[in-house]
Amino acid sequence: MTHVSEITEHGHPSQEAPKQSMLATGSTIVKTLANPGALRKMQTMDPDEERYVRPTREYELPEYREGMKHCISNEKYLRPTRWCNPREPLVIAMANELRAYELSDYEFAEAAYWFVKTKFTPEFLSLNSVSDSLKRGTGTCFHMNSVWVALCRAAGIKARYKSFTMVLPDEIMSVASSFGEAGEMTGDLFNRGFPEMEGEVCIDGTWTVGHVSMRPELLASNYLPITRFGEDAIGLTLLLAPGGTIKRFESVSLKFDILMKAIMWSAPAMMERANLMTTESRSMGRTIIEMAGGLEAYDRAARARASASL
Amino acid sequence: MEAAKETQIQDRLHRLNERIGLSYVPPRETWTPAEEALYKPVNLLRVPVEEARVMQLKAIKYTFTRHYTLNRFYRRYCDTKGVTPDDVKTYDDLEKIPLVPDLTFKWHPSGKDFAGWIADVYTGDLPPVTIESANPTFDDVLNAYNAAGLMVTHSTGTSGQPTVIPRDMKTARYLQYGMTKMLIDLCDPTSIDHALSLFPKPTRANLFVAKVQGPLDQFFEDHHYALDFDISAELAMRAAVDTNDAAEQLSAEEQLRKIFTIGATWLERYDKTTDTIWMLAPPALFSVFLDSLEAQGKRFEFGERGFLRTAGGWKTRDGKNIPHESFRKRVEEVLGIPETHCLDIYGMSEMNSIMITCPEGHYYHPPPWLRLFVLDASLTPVGYEKFGRFAFLDPLVYSYPGFVMTGDKVRLLEHCPVCDRPGPVIDQTISRLKSAEMRGCAVQLAKIFKRDVEEAK
Repeated sequence: MTHVSEITEHGHPSQEAPKQSMLATGSTIVKTLANPGALRKMQTMDPDEERYVRPTREYELPEYREGMKHCISNEKYLRPTRWCNPREPLVIAMANELRAYELSDYEFAEAAYWFVKTKFTPEFLSLNSVSDSLKRGTGTCFHMNSVWVALCRAAGIKARYKSFTMVLPDEIMSVASSFGEAGEMTGDLFNRGFPEMEGEVCIDGTWTVGHVSMRPELLASNYLPITRFGEDAIGLTLLLAPGGTIKRFESVSLKFDILMKAIMWSAPAMMERANLMTTESRSMGRTIIEMAGGLEAYDRAARARASASL
Repeated sequence: MEAAKETQIQDRLHRLNERIGLSYVPPRETWTPAEEALYKPVNLLRVPVEEARVMQLKAIKYTFTRHYTLNRFYRRYCDTKGVTPDDVKTYDDLEKIPLVPDLTFKWHPSGKDFAGWIADVYTGDLPPVTIESANPTFDDVLNAYNAAGLMVTHSTGTSGQPTVIPRDMKTARYLQYGMTKMLIDLCDPTSIDHALSLFPKPTRANLFVAKVQGPLDQFFEDHHYALDFDISAELAMRAAVDTNDAAEQLSAEEQLRKIFTIGATWLERYDKTTDTIWMLAPPALFSVFLDSLEAQGKRFEFGERGFLRTAGGWKTRDGKNIPHESFRKRVEEVLGIPETHCLDIYGMSEMNSIMITCPEGHYYHPPPWLRLFVLDASLTPVGYEKFGRFAFLDPLVYSYPGFVMTGDKVRLLEHCPVCDRPGPVIDQTISRLKSAEMRGCAVQLAKIFKRDVEEAK
């Protein structure tokens, strides 16, 4: 198993989070753990709170057959990496289902992109194999990007991860007195600790980006444009944090799994609420797309609006 | 006793109709099913449940047909959902009517595109509108529509973008008349001598909370507005969010001092009289007003001749909840107005009706024409006793589809646990649902984290 982490971004300022901010993140975690009220809230659902129900998987699982074509190269960006094994039978079967080796590399990468983007639903979970994600149809941005990267690698297309820290919305980031301690704690913790993930595929020597982790309905719930294959979410639906880190790497770092497991263990109710919020946003976004007259009409309107505001 | 009360309400209604004139009450023979729901009942808070259901079905189906026929964007949406007015045959079928997210009225473009947006959401034909200025402000645009015979209002835009609602005059009058009529069971505005409003004056702002007070002006001998100055949309939005600008903070504090001086002087004027007084204010502002009176050592004893109507949410500017009960107790301590005379109004700019708390239990009672829903995360109605997203079908809206999913979290009860008024009520615990801001995992988790820390306090 190879674990390669690299920072290859050009044209962005220094990548490392200042030590002061890292200390603030640490102190926020300590503060949270030392706040019994907050901890209880994050660990326990209230009796009258609606409970999260995982949505049904939106696709059939294809059957794996011996001899299905797939890439066996051990070259960097094609080989198996942590939680991203393109040689798992289900991954190979799905890549073939999406017509790997029949379509051009670009067409396949795009087909796999839309498969993940429109069929997967965000759900906060600790990391797992790509097959498990495929069986479930849900996951975090790490899970979804791993599915896309693995499918592309199985099809012989070099693929890697890209992570960055983004600007949180004003209402969270503002240090104005009105947002108080909760706002500051949130800013400290999430602005440094939780990156957003994209994927990149290498086609004819050029790396092409894709943001698979937000399905159209979720973007529509906030009137954001629907990012297409080849479009960077940075600058369209997300803003890079000032001095924020853009990293490109072949494999997901172990620390993200530890972090997710720690949160899942210490704050299960918080995660359930976040999942419930996804369900709600999905329903609302679907309504908004329908009202706009379909996906294309919606996207046109949202892009016109985004160009004025982001 | 019942008969005497009925006669009293009838007298009040008669006085109300006399005062506000024919422009508000069309001839009976011309009433549509929606108008019948508004004008026919004598006491809006005492309509039996079955009667109210029949009324809702007729009125809502009538208005749904209107929007389906005359509103292109809503019709397209209904067609996507596969629902037509023919599908609404029973009371339960009302659940099929497609609901519009409240965000629809927030996501309006600016500049020239605004006209296209308003034409899209508007039901029927818009009057011709001329905007004089080459570079119009948001208020210039709204004023141009209002000069053309509409009542286009905006909200304060606490979430960053104000809600804009285009009402034709018919819809606007339904709102104003309905609001006044809702009040007559609990406190007759036509028998009150003087009023003080801590909301903007209707002629000085395009804010919904200002315009909705319209006809009240005609009832009182001395109707004083403590906020009698022009409030532009920009100023309203700046006031709704906290600022770090020292000069702006100073100016806001100065303005508040003036408002409170006007309020205190007004109270002193009627303190030693036997006149009845009525105050209308947002709880957050009134709470600070009470602080200011207390700080100055001012106390009043209005007793049974004093009334307070609050509206506008129960959160302070720094996001803290104002407990209803302790608020009412403070009003009694400082002004001598009994708790039963402190009633709260729940409404929103998208809705053309109001709900009012009963003096007995302080639960929100809706008017009989309004169909209320509570939706779960998948936007499916969940029935009584459960918290969820508030949605409503309001048949008194002619100029835009008043079938709306809001951003409020409420709980619906089948009947008031305290008073005997029929029909469902909304629990006092009303909060805002956090918008998901679905941009990425970190933002989503950050929002939940912040909310959990805040709520744990």
